[in-house]
Amino acid sequence: MDKKSKKGISRREFMKVGGAVGAALSLGGAAVAGFVSGRSKDTYTGWGPAPYGEDQFFNRKPFYVDKPTYEVVGKPERIRYLDNIFKRNGELYRLMYAKDGEPKWDLSKGAEDLPEPLKTYYLNNSERLAEFKRAYYKADEQHKNWPKYQDQFFIADAWSTAHSTSFRGRGSFPLEPKGPPEESDFNGVTMKPYPLKSPKHGSELIKKISHTFGATLVGVTELKEEWVYQGYLRGVGKTEFKKPEHWKNVIVIAVPHEWDALYVNPTYGTSYDAYSKLNFVAGKIEIFLRKMGYSARIHVPPVDYDIIVPPIAIDAGLGEFGRNGIVITPELGANTRLAAVTTDMPLEPDKPIDIGIKKFCEKCKICAEECPSGSISMDDAPTKNIRGFKRWDIDQDKCFTVWNSVATSHSRGCRICLAVCPYSRKNNWIHRLAKEVDPYDPSGAFASAMLAMQKNFFEYPGANEYLPPPDGSNKTYGEPPEWLDSSKWFDI
Amino acid sequence: MLEIFSEPFFWIIMGACYTFMFLGASYWAKDLGLKMNVWKWLFTGFWFALLTLTISGGFTLFGENEWRAGYYFLGFLGVIVIILAVVLWRVVKWNPQSK
Repeated sequence: MDKKSKKGISRREFMKVGGAVGAALSLGGAAVAGFVSGRSKDTYTGWGPAPYGEDQFFNRKPFYVDKPTYEVVGKPERIRYLDNIFKRNGELYRLMYAKDGEPKWDLSKGAEDLPEPLKTYYLNNSERLAEFKRAYYKADEQHKNWPKYQDQFFIADAWSTAHSTSFRGRGSFPLEPKGPPEESDFNGVTMKPYPLKSPKHGSELIKKISHTFGATLVGVTELKEEWVYQGYLRGVGKTEFKKPEHWKNVIVIAVPHEWDALYVNPTYGTSYDAYSKLNFVAGKIEIFLRKMGYSARIHVPPVDYDIIVPPIAIDAGLGEFGRNGIVITPELGANTRLAAVTTDMPLEPDKPIDIGIKKFCEKCKICAEECPSGSISMDDAPTKNIRGFKRWDIDQDKCFTVWNSVATSHSRGCRICLAVCPYSRKNNWIHRLAKEVDPYDPSGAFASAMLAMQKNFFEYPGANEYLPPPDGSNKTYGEPPEWLDSSKWFDI
Repeated sequence: MLEIFSEPFFWIIMGACYTFMFLGASYWAKDLGLKMNVWKWLFTGFWFALLTLTISGGFTLFGENEWRAGYYFLGFLGVIVIILAVVLWRVVKWNPQSK
């Protein structure tokens, strides 16, 4: 028989009660720890407490592949600048609002009235010109509707405007290239570079520096000719050109949008926060490289590019193409915003990765189902040949029309396809576990199980609901955080 | 306020709770007449880990404001945990030497 303590409780009873209480408390503690993990801002990768590269936590090494996961189905062609919606829309706006005050074209006119090369482009893509006109009228409607929605969204609007103030033409940094790349990319280079110990040292150094400047993800690769725009070169203007010889390597950086704002797309969200960050980070890398004696040229959002960055990010092993046309990375999901710096600094390239994102996207389709513009392909597999590469089709013109339709002060975008992507969830333990385990399962069974949970457990408003009345009800994907809730701070 | 639940002190307390639980488990097993072996303890440990992850997972989703997902997660995995608990009870009660 057990010895009784002075108070009459045996050691056996004490241990049993202690064990039961310990088990109950540990389960309670697990619940609280889970709740705290779900609430924690520290799991908002890229906005958490780790500026020294810890946010690039995914071990890519087991998934290195020799060839990138995008599929080459023809002779790769360089993208013409008019294939970029912002460049061609810019051309149209410049004709409509000519500097001399005399419009050179208006919406009552057709493609045949446009100057070359716009005329040929729109004669071959007449549906795009029709969509541009639709977007223009929607923008007018949006502008008129703004006073109706302003009370609810004005903090988000001010927040976006603050972020966008740094963009080129509105601020002073980073500097716009002037003159040919052979001159402008060397502006500020005053010394010959010290001999690097090896290209590997170069890559490691520039990655560490980029992280301290604020880049969440950094990758390095050689620049392929097919990723260079054709027909327009910043600093020079409209011109046909070859890839400059000193554009040898590319440093690709990625940052996420602020996560709370991302989840409340399309009306509270904004692209400008990430764009602003990328401008500053890339601008600092550019200056750093030039001070080290190397050429450097930044390629930054919203429109200042001479190269197309997403496939370069794939070459550099940051991620893979998703159905929504976004590079999806293991750390940031579809909340991955990119910029790049071309340089002649000797760098060791990273390898591309295959973590099964394409296979997941084939099954998932959540982004396509939730897209208010219906511009994301519902095809099971990529089918469209885009300049020699097989891709899921994105109707960028329809997408832009929705930018001009949602309840924002002007066309600030939508980004629902970024927010609803299952890879874009917070990096707390439960979602991170799913993301880390899935790539190791070649059968795809784990991904299917996760996707079944994703589709059945989580709530999605439905594509039309994101639009203003009468088409929808101004829904956002998530609930607005208190700092974007104007009624919390103002008497409205 | 919630920050204290991610402080090291919280995890020290959690460690103490687990220690009490492990120490008390063998007394419970003896008093319930269970003939435990390594495999039975491992199975029990696996079940308790699954229970912990289910609770923690559900509350993580609550913390993210994904209330519906949290309830579904607790409900779906909770049923699996209860079924496994019945299986576990039969396994730990099973004693081939008593036949």
